[in-house]
Amino acid sequence: MALPLKAEHASETEDFESRPNIVKFTVFKESEQNHAQKAELASFEEAILPHLDAAHNLARWLLRNEQDAQDVVQEAYLRAFKSFSGFHGSNGRAWLLTIVRNTSYTLLKKNQAVDFTTFDEEIHVAADEFASPATILEHGEDAELIREAMDALPAEFREILALQHQEGLSYKEIADIAQIPPGTVMSRLARARGKLKEYLTARIGKDK
Amino acid sequence: MNCEEAAKLMDGYLDRELDPITSQTIEQHLLECPKCDQAYKIHGSLIRAIGNATPYYKAPAELRERIQSSLRDEIAELPTRNIAREPQPLFPRREPRPRAILWETSWNWLALAAAIIFAAIIALTLVPRLQRPGADQFLATQLIASHVRSLMANHLTDVASSDQHTVKPWLDAKLDFAPPVVDLSQQGFPLIGGRLDYLDNRPVAALVYQRRKHFINLFVWPGETGAARPTMAMSHEGYQLLHWADPDFNYWAVSDVNANDLQTFKQQFETRTPRH
Repeated sequence: MALPLKAEHASETEDFESRPNIVKFTVFKESEQNHAQKAELASFEEAILPHLDAAHNLARWLLRNEQDAQDVVQEAYLRAFKSFSGFHGSNGRAWLLTIVRNTSYTLLKKNQAVDFTTFDEEIHVAADEFASPATILEHGEDAELIREAMDALPAEFREILALQHQEGLSYKEIADIAQIPPGTVMSRLARARGKLKEYLTARIGKDK
Repeated sequence: MNCEEAAKLMDGYLDRELDPITSQTIEQHLLECPKCDQAYKIHGSLIRAIGNATPYYKAPAELRERIQSSLRDEIAELPTRNIAREPQPLFPRREPRPRAILWETSWNWLALAAAIIFAAIIALTLVPRLQRPGADQFLATQLIASHVRSLMANHLTDVASSDQHTVKPWLDAKLDFAPPVVDLSQQGFPLIGGRLDYLDNRPVAALVYQRRKHFINLFVWPGETGAARPTMAMSHEGYQLLHWADPDFNYWAVSDVNANDLQTFKQQFETRTPRH
């Protein structure tokens, strides 16, 4: 009994296709789709736009260039919006920062792979001969010097320092964003700070 | 614990990321070993210096506008693309199936309408009974919204002062209660000012503190029964919330600093709040 019905349906559908009044249906559907998109955009903006400063700060530290940072953040927001329907977590900031980070690395790699090894090994050889820890502390408030030192570090170190010191994220969140095991976060932070200290000691030593 | 282990755990300890037992073991070792103690102090100053001296690059206003308009363009473009080409992955469920469209969409809208009514009922039932856990979630959303608004609209404080003796009288005059105000500069949470806010159907005091480059909004209003409630920590949309109460007041601290910093903030605030 069901079979003839189905056949009838099928033919009816085809009829509908060929009729001009099907346009009405399409328009109706599209405006609803529009509506759904607007609603989605509104909830995206509400959840993700407040983290714009965090996104910009991370991109700026990673790319060391304002224009690139803005482009990456804009690109990251577009990507985030496109995959927003698949995001069900509660930590919008960490989710966005992960996308910003990946987008930044894509650009970094495209620009030059060199960035990952830019840390000048020569500067910090035997750094400890130049300045004592106490001297570093005297210069500890020298913002320009510390910014320079941080900019001189490889990307993975700049990233982890920005996430820890500026965003105040927990090790667990950092692990998620940088896509490393949670156990690695502490040792990488230790190495990043160690390198920063070496750079500072060397620079202070040279200036004297 | 020996010196080698202590050196390995130094960053975790100074970032307050270790479990309490390990932290205690380290503290014990530092008391016994001046060399490690010195190393920890130096490393601690370096960590503070990095936090204080490095600039936080806030997004310029035009970037926000650029992003918003590019998102608008994105949704304006999508429907045409959907028709012209393959369905976009963003809306994979809506494939053109002419016969089913009307039925399917009206069903979706019914479901949406039902969901909205359902949500409204839940919200209305919960508002009067703020002691329930679900209500805390609801309040948490309000608190975060208020926190975000205070940072976005350039309206962080009504009275900007790091002096508790300026902020407190100002709030006392505007409210029907006198919230405790303490400056915590010495503890690393300088007072920035105070603000009036409206939450939970009543005017509340918002005290604004700073932690490194981040702000903490501490919302205060009188408690109901005079019974202290256990501390409750929540994490929501990347924000940390901490709730506690003393016999006089309800406290909600909201910030994007990490949970440990917020706990420290609470402890310092409690320690320095004058007891009645």
